Amino acid sequence: MKIGFVLIAMVLSVFAARLVQLQGVDPRSYAKMAAAEGQRVVDLPATRGEILDRNGEPMADTVDGRMIVADPKVTAPVAPELATILSDRLGVDYIETLRRLRVEGEGGRFQYIARQVPASKAEKVVADIQEKFKDDKDRPFAGLATERDPLRVYPNHTVAANLVGFLGENGKKGEDAAIVGLAGLEDSFNTYLSGKDGEARYEVGAGNQIPLGDNTVTPAVDGKDLTLTIDRDLQFYTQRVLQQTVQKSGGKSGMALIQDTKTGELLALADYPTYDASDPRSYPEELYKSSALTDVYEPGSVEKALTISSLVDAGLAFKEQRFKVPGKLHRQDRPIGDYWDHGTLKLTLAGILAKSSNVGTVLAADQFKPGQLRRYLTRFGLGSRTGVGLNGETRGILPQGAAWTSQVGDRIAFGQSLSVNAVQMISAINTIANGGVRVAPSLVKGEARTDDGTAVGTDVATSRRVISADAARETMLMMERVVEPSPIGVAPGAQVPGYRVAGKTGTAQRVGENGGYDGSLTVSFAGFAPADAPRFTIYVVVHSPRAGSGGGSVAGPAFAKLMSHALRRYGVAPTGAQPNQTPVAW
Amino acid sequence: MSSTSPLRNRLPYVAPRVAQAALERARLTVVPRRRTRAPRVPFVTFVSVILLGGVVGLLMFNTSMQQASFRETALRNQATDLGAQQEALEMELQELNDPAHVAAAAEKLGMVMPSTGAGVLHLGSGRISGDPQPATGEDRLPLEQPGPQRPASLDPPPVKQKVKPATDGVPATVQ
Repeated sequence: MKIGFVLIAMVLSVFAARLVQLQGVDPRSYAKMAAAEGQRVVDLPATRGEILDRNGEPMADTVDGRMIVADPKVTAPVAPELATILSDRLGVDYIETLRRLRVEGEGGRFQYIARQVPASKAEKVVADIQEKFKDDKDRPFAGLATERDPLRVYPNHTVAANLVGFLGENGKKGEDAAIVGLAGLEDSFNTYLSGKDGEARYEVGAGNQIPLGDNTVTPAVDGKDLTLTIDRDLQFYTQRVLQQTVQKSGGKSGMALIQDTKTGELLALADYPTYDASDPRSYPEELYKSSALTDVYEPGSVEKALTISSLVDAGLAFKEQRFKVPGKLHRQDRPIGDYWDHGTLKLTLAGILAKSSNVGTVLAADQFKPGQLRRYLTRFGLGSRTGVGLNGETRGILPQGAAWTSQVGDRIAFGQSLSVNAVQMISAINTIANGGVRVAPSLVKGEARTDDGTAVGTDVATSRRVISADAARETMLMMERVVEPSPIGVAPGAQVPGYRVAGKTGTAQRVGENGGYDGSLTVSFAGFAPADAPRFTIYVVVHSPRAGSGGGSVAGPAFAKLMSHALRRYGVAPTGAQPNQTPVAW
Repeated sequence: MSSTSPLRNRLPYVAPRVAQAALERARLTVVPRRRTRAPRVPFVTFVSVILLGGVVGLLMFNTSMQQASFRETALRNQATDLGAQQEALEMELQELNDPAHVAAAAEKLGMVMPSTGAGVLHLGSGRISGDPQPATGEDRLPLEQPGPQRPASLDPPPVKQKVKPATDGVPATVQ
């Protein structure tokens, strides 16, 4: 009896000593060890939101994908055979796969073999391999496994790739490695689209979940869908017309934009050349952007529409006002001339715009008080970012203060010595179409937040009056004369049969890579239709076309094609009114 | 028994006869214990049935649970497979919906993209406005963008080698 008690006491003292050791000496490290031993953490990846066009067609979609991971300790003995099968069936690089299947040492028990593989394909490949390389106890091969890894697809390839962008690895190693947007909206709305990953923690014993153990599940918050204002089919057509225009004119690159006049929504924003969002690595990196937002250029004569509408709004000129326009205008530094040689012409203000006379525009702009034109151009949105939601947008260059000398002022009046991006420019021209009210351009329907926290979209688009409705209408009447055939206007190719069209050509000297004018040109055409009840504003720009090209001959016909297609697609009927006959000469 | 015997021994000397008789009457006797034998068989049967029923029930319950679990796993796998299949089909559909693909297919059928003037038919009045012209296949748009350009290092100019014409009727070969 007594011996029994002594024995029990001894055992209990051993327990007590162990208890003191566990709880008294270093309880935390033991608790951690216990948790690590028994606890499993499983990531619950959030599903990335889709990018949709204005009609709900997917531009970027997420499908269930798998990553294939290997445990090199198990795969090393059969690495060559595995690598052959994997490279055959998944198209992964044989040498790299072989290396990964044989990695040794720290961190060597987990290697990515392939990522973002369609689920059914990945499961099949792994199941086949598990079957083929069974061990001697007839258990399936344990060296390869699949894990969830959603796959991003861009079903429209080159259509709107310049805007949508693409996903890729962020280049970091270990824990920080992630799939993030590398270009376009995928990049600027990465947080909005990606959502928040969740995780499930549960305790396991002998490989099974302990039913009453410590289980916590933080559900994943899926990313939100991003709906664009882009019309996919119109975007496709625009890209094709732009490509044809650039190729035919021997140009280097180009941009074409279509904007809804009333709402400021961009229905199409095309850049050429562009890339395939589903295969970006085959294209040079400098194409991973939208030149219409990131690149500046001098707008040339299209800007004259802004100068003249400002003059009319300020009450400094009217459309029939008579000007004697000499062939050359000698100002401080160098003479200003027109693109065609002429003696002194008797032109009205409408004639100056219709024929795109630099000299006439400078003479008319002399009426401005100092700083007045700059204030107008700022109100038109030049010199500040449009903030449509893409990263890397340029604000353009609108000289100010001492940089705005009288010579610079003269040149700015006809569209040189200032730089813009194409979205700024189409929004400025759209202001005239929209009765003098500038609606901020939008690329996102509704409202969404970019990664830097800015809310963008049609719901938060602002508008402001820049010129009076009367001034806008008077400018429209003058711009309508531009599309008349010579000798009245310069761009008959921009006419859309059956509709009234107002527009303005632009032919600007282009700043080359050395920072000065290199003799190449930027030709463009901006306009809207139906002129008396505008529905769309379209802007086409071609850089470096072959010599002798002009805005009217290159960009004008492209404008007409796009406008005709857009009006037809959206069922806009002609207004039935006849074009106005404002005199261009006197 | 041992406690009552001193009392009984003392009675003849202490108590009167009458009392003795009453005492005699009231004397307690030990009743022999009645031995009843409850029938064992029904109870054992009952317990056995319960036990057996429990075990069988548990077994069946377990089996059905297992079966349900197998079925659940099979159905879950099927759902995953079908989900993957659906997504694959959706992907295929999206690829077919690619405007470039639709345009190419339409062109193959002889359709053209109109670039001529359009007319609008006003349903109320039957009036036609605009300047409708039949669409022609002229000025066809390129449907595909030119493929990516290879860097010059990957696209070397073709190697040209002049081969002397054979003089003796045997064709010359390039080494």
